[in-house]
This record gives sequence, C-alpha cells and structure tokens, in this order.
Amino acid sequence: MTQTDILSSEQEDLRLLRESARTLFERAGGSDRARKLRDAGGGFDAEMVRELAEAGVFGVAVPEDQGGLGMGLAAGGVIAEEVGRVIAPEPVVLTIGLSLGLLRRLCPAHPKMAQLIGGEISLAVAWQERGPDGALADATCRYADGKLTGGKAWVVGAIGSLGFLVVAEGDDGPVLVLAEADADGLVIDKRAQADGSSLGELSFSGTPAVELASGGAVPTALAEAVADATALAAAELVGLSERAFEITLDYIKTREQFDKPIGSFQVIQHRAVDLNVICEVAQAGVREALAQMDSETDPKVRAPIASRAKARAVTAAKRITRDAIQLHGAVGYTDEFDIGLYLNRALVLSAWLGDDAYHRRIWFEAREAEGAAQ
Amino acid sequence: MTDWNAISDVEFRKEVRQFFEAEYPEELRHLPHRPKFAEIEHWHRKLHAKGWVAPAWPAEFGGMGLNAAKLLIFYEEQQRWGVNRGRDMGVQMVGPLIIKFGTQEQKDYWLPRILSCEDIWCQGYSEPGAGSDLANLRTRAEIDGDDFVINGQKIWTTMAHDATHIFMLVRTDPDAPKKQQGISFLLAPMNQPGVDVRTITTLSGETEFCEVFFDNARTPRENLVGELNKGWTMAKALLSFERIFIGSPSLAQNALGQLESFARGRGAFDDPVFRDRFAQAALDVEDHAALYARFADQLKRGETLGADVSMLKIWVTECFQRITELMIEAAGPDGGSIGPLQVGNVSVDVLSSFYKARPTTIYGGSNEIQRNILSKAVLGLPG
Ligand SMILES: Cc1cc2nc3c(=O)[nH]c(=O)nc-3n(C[C@H](O)[C@H](O)[C@H](O)COP(=O)(O)OP(=O)(O)OC[C@H]3O[C@@H](n4cnc5c(N)ncnc54)[C@H](O)[C@@H]3O)c2cc1C
Repeated sequence: MTQTDILSSEQEDLRLLRESARTLFERAGGSDRARKLRDAGGGFDAEMVRELAEAGVFGVAVPEDQGGLGMGLAAGGVIAEEVGRVIAPEPVVLTIGLSLGLLRRLCPAHPKMAQLIGGEISLAVAWQERGPDGALADATCRYADGKLTGGKAWVVGAIGSLGFLVVAEGDDGPVLVLAEADADGLVIDKRAQADGSSLGELSFSGTPAVELASGGAVPTALAEAVADATALAAAELVGLSERAFEITLDYIKTREQFDKPIGSFQVIQHRAVDLNVICEVAQAGVREALAQMDSETDPKVRAPIASRAKARAVTAAKRITRDAIQLHGAVGYTDEFDIGLYLNRALVLSAWLGDDAYHRRIWFEAREAEGAAQ
Repeated sequence: MTDWNAISDVEFRKEVRQFFEAEYPEELRHLPHRPKFAEIEHWHRKLHAKGWVAPAWPAEFGGMGLNAAKLLIFYEEQQRWGVNRGRDMGVQMVGPLIIKFGTQEQKDYWLPRILSCEDIWCQGYSEPGAGSDLANLRTRAEIDGDDFVINGQKIWTTMAHDATHIFMLVRTDPDAPKKQQGISFLLAPMNQPGVDVRTITTLSGETEFCEVFFDNARTPRENLVGELNKGWTMAKALLSFERIFIGSPSLAQNALGQLESFARGRGAFDDPVFRDRFAQAALDVEDHAALYARFADQLKRGETLGADVSMLKIWVTECFQRITELMIEAAGPDGGSIGPLQVGNVSVDVLSSFYKARPTTIYGGSNEIQRNILSKAVLGLPG
C-alpha cells in the first residue's frame, strides 16, 4: 500500500466509525434522550453504555494487544464529536481518555480494563484537590496501610461509577489506587452542574483501597491521560458547537419578524457566517491536534497539543452557544428549546480540565520552555 | 415632605445607604432569582412606610421626586447593597405612563395601589409573532357595552404568575392601514376566568416568565389609557424612559463588585492576563457611567432623550455579559457549578449572574434592534 492508500483507508475507518456512532445516538433519540435523562435526575443510561461498548467505542484508543481497537485518539475524537452533537451524558470521554488512559498505561493486564472496554462498568478518576480558598491546590491525599485519607474534588462521573481511580501520595511516592464507590469512610458530596450532571467532592477517612500502581510512572501516566481526555473533551465541544450552529441556522431561516425570515437581515447573515467560520476552524484545529497526538510519543510535545485543541474548542463553543441564544431571542432562553441544553453542556465541558484561558497559558509556557531548550 | 433634591449628593447617598444597611433583610441581599411578592413583602412594607417605593415619580403622586443625579445615586446604592428591585413593573413602567397619559380618575385610583403593591403588574407586550416586530401584535380587544373583550395570547410575560394586573398593547382596529395604527394601551385584571397563565421554564430552570392566554377576558372601558388606537405612540414614549433605565450602569457595577471579591478570593489577580481583563471591564463600566451621566444631565435639564440613548443599553448589557463571563473564568473548574460558590466569607453565585446577563441583550429591544435604530436615526445611514 502507498502512503496515500493508507491515509485514505484510515479516513474510511473513521468515516464508518462516525456513521455507526451517529446512527446509534440518533436511533436512541438524539438530544431528546439527553433531556429525558437530565429530567430523570441527571444520570446516564447503562444500556446505552453497553450498546456503545458493542460498537467498540470505549476501546478505540486502546492498543489491539490490550483488547482494544487500536485506532488511536483520532478515532476517539470522532466518537467524542458525535457524543457532543447529541449532548449524550454517558462517560465516553471519561472512559476513553481518563480511566482507560490511566489503566492501559499503568496496569494493562488488570481485569477492570476488559470490563471498561465491555461497558460493564465505569470508573471515575480523582486526582485534583481543592484548597481553602476554593481554588485548585497541591495534593495532600494520603494512602497508607491500604487506606485513603484526605479529599478529592471535581470528580466527573462520581455518580453511577463502580468506583474511583484515585491518585494519592503513598509511603514511597505516588500511587494509583482503586476505591469502591460504597467503601467505608467515603463520603461523596454532589455539586449540581449546569447540564444536570454533578461533580463529586470526595472525602476519605481511612477508606480501604487497592493499590494498582506506584512510583514515578503514576504522575507521568496521569499527565498523559489528562492530555488525552483534554483533547477528547475538545472534540466533544466541536461536535456540540456544530450541532448548536445547525439548530440556529435552521431557526433563523424559519423565524419571521417584519414579514421576513430573520436570516434575511444582513447583520444576522454575517453573524451566522462568523459562527460557521469559527466552527470550521475549531473542527480543523482539533482534528489535526488529535492526529498529531497519535503520531507523537513525547509527553512534553503531546500536552501542549492537547491544550491547543481545548483552548480553541472552548473559545468556539462559548461564542457559538452564546450567540445561538441571542439569535433565537427569548425562545433561546427557555428550557423547552434545545439550544439552552447546548449552552449548559458547553459551560460544563469548558470548565472541565481547564478552560481556554488556562490552556492558552499552558500552550505558551510549553512553547517558551521548548524555545529555551533549543 | 422632604425635598431630596435640596440636600447635597453626598448627604443623600449617606442617608440612602444608611437606610438600606439598617433595614434591608440580610437574607434577601443579592437574591439570585426574581422573588415572588410574598418573599419580599415585609421589605416592601418598610419601603412603603418610608415613602421610597417610587424614587422617580413626582412627589405629588407619592414618589420621591428625585432628579436624575439623585436617582442615579439611589439605584447605585440599591445595587451596591444587593437590594432587590422588588415587583417594580408598576412603579417603573405603568405608573409613569399613567402619570403622563392617564386621566385624573386613573391617577387617583391606580397610583396609590401601585405604591402599596395592592396591585402587582406585569407587562403584556410580546406575542409569539410579535417580538422585535412588536407592531405585529394580534391580541384583539373589542368594545362590548361597558367593557373591552380581549382575545389572544401574550408571551414572555415576566412574573405574570405572581401579578394581579397586566398592562398590555392590544389591537383595537384591525383594519388600520398601518400595523402601528389601531393599537391601544389597556389595563386588565388577571384574576378572571378568561385569563389563563402558564409558566415557562428558563434554561437555568427558573420560572420567571409566562404565557398568558385571553379567552373572552374582560376589562372595563375606563381601563383604556390615552386615546383609542393611539397606544403605539404612547408605548414608544415610554421606551426612551425604559432605555435609560435599562442602560443604567447598575447591573454591570454590581456584577463587577461580585467579580472583584470573587477573583480576589480565588487568587485570580495573580494572573496578569486576568488583571488586564478585569481592568478592561472595570474601565468599561466606569466610562459607561460617564456617558450615562451625560444622558442623565439631559434629563435633569428637562430635555427629552433622543434615539442615541440606545447606545447606553448596547454598551452596558454587553459589558455586563463580559463581566459574568470573567466570573466563570475566575471560577476555573467550578465554572459549570450551579449555586453559590464560597470564597472566604463571601459567596458568589457565578452561574446565576451569567444567566441573568444573557437575556439583557434580548429584552427591552434586542441589541440588534438598538443598532438598527442608531444606524438610521443617529448616523443617518440609508435603508
Ligand atoms: C428574560 C426575558 C423577559 C422578558 N419579559 C417580557 C415581559 O415582561 N413582557 C413582554 O412583553 N416581553 C418580555 N420579553 C420579550 C422581549 O421583549 C422579546 O424577547 C424581544 O422583543 C425580542 O423578541 P423575540 O424574543 O421574539 O426575538 P425575535 O424578534 O424573534 O428575534 C430573534 C433574533 O433576531 C434578531 N432580529 C430580529 N429582527 C431583526 C432585525 N430587523 N434586524 C436584525 N436583527 C433582528 C433579534 O435581535 C434576535 O437576535 C422578555 C424576554 C426575555 C428574554
């Protein structure tokens, strides 16, 4: 096969993957499904998780010799975009990027790997901590004699997960441990999010947990998994932005004021064009970033690429969802219209794993460091 | 009766501040939602007893008779202390209209009831097909004996589910040659079989606005304000007043104060980029206040405001939105969290400020419509 053949056959794989994910979500009810789940209390649908697993979703980025499809982050991004389009609440980016991202790097033979890939379980990942001023702080959570003490904050998927992959400080350096969701001495405080989901604030007091890995490999794998998840969250925002734009475009074509569609006013037309351009730029940037991350192995290079993706996607999604509300007028401010669901989901995805300002800073610092090294 | 305008601005500010700080219930400060009347009734009684319900109304109608400068101070202090505006559509909108266009009987009857909140008002202008194009409204009112009979639908009626009366624009002459003609301004009671109110949930889960359906609802003929079929011109006269109110710096100033304490508590000012963006927002607010004062002076001199007042609303609402977006940025990983966020001894509800800022560019004439007005009426651009 020539280089072009390989390329186009890869593209073909991704296209098929996109089609099957889209069909699956559309058949299940598209964004209506997300609304129903939110109204039912903000969880996700375990049956949907199993169906996604059957389609190979969770194992896309896991190498074939570890039981996955070995299609890389680019394929993960395709799925994340489809998740974003229908604002599906299932833990897709969490599982592909964080939980499997950690396990496949630290303990690929662990039986939880197969269960995650098979959609039988989901695991939340807990590593950040909140300081006294409420902001992010240095980690102090300890693991000793098989027990966890301390706290973790901003845990996505804390509700509905079988357990927590916790990064803590052990006697001989960092460890990755697994605590069951119903373990003794574990208190989960739920913080309601704009999209109906919740973030967990965990507190451990002598909570039993099993050690999975230890040593310097833990923070390295964590940074890698966080970079993966960051780039995938960017892809999810791209899908979300695209769909929010489509909904808005349909609306301005049909809503009439002053005896014509509002889309006939030039100011609205220009605004729509701007949003479209923003959307296309974000899609191109994020897809390229994911592909680059697949061909790079150096974590120092991969991290700023992920930051580039998230910075772009957050900026785009914020602008698109906010302008979408404006272009809808008052109906855009209602719960009844879907566009509000997209705004709310964008708020949550933007805040998760760092917003655009944060990632621009990271990107710039990495660039400076690279320059200094040369 | 105190002539508030006779005392110095400094004195006046002190007096207003003291009253709010001493009397306004702590638990109602910076309410994140629009309260129903029952929630703030106690406070309203105090304000009423003090004679401070209607700061802008002339003293002869029970207002404070404040000039523009004093009014600005009053609102600033109100915002600074997080004093809720209360159910003020009567005071802010229908009262001034009755004062300007109402008969003596209408003034005598309605104004005291607005002040006491015996009547609580909502604004029934918009309809499903009449948003920006308000003149497209279709709700009909026909004369039947001593009454008007009303049929049709209003929408986005803020707090209609907690109102006793609605002031509305209705079509009284469907055959008028232009849409703007044949519209009248009517007052109607809500509590009657022909009026059906359904709340609409907002994207933040609040029930602030409603749909109101009229099915042979009735209101006495004496509840017509001004002349029959002349409602449009009257409503427009009210608009320029509404625009300076909606263009006042208060919402943005208040949000800026919240942003500052939140960002400081969270250490966001350690970041020079954030500092710059905060400074930008702060100066946007400050310079807007200067522009606002220019318009306020015009009012003070007794001049009527021109179409250029629209620039106040454009600037301040967009600035308000940017400030709340900065709050989200300062919140970092909490940026998607609903409810108050604690920082030190202050708590700031970041998302509720963000949500509150979104529709300010939509209601009161959307910012696109304001720009259309400025480009034609002020810049004289063709089209
Ligand atoms: C929170 C909230 C509270 C409200 N409270 C009340 C109330 O108490 N009483 C009441 O009567 N109404 C109320 N409204 C309604 C408000 O007045 C309308 O939303 C407003 O007039 C816009 O109309 P619309 O929502 O139908 O949007 P549309 O008119 O459909 O506009 C949709 C979009 O098209 C743009 N657009 C429309 N025409 C043009 C044009 N010619 N050129 C360029 N752009 C254009 C608009 O700017 C907007 O971005 C409220 C609205 C909100 C959001």
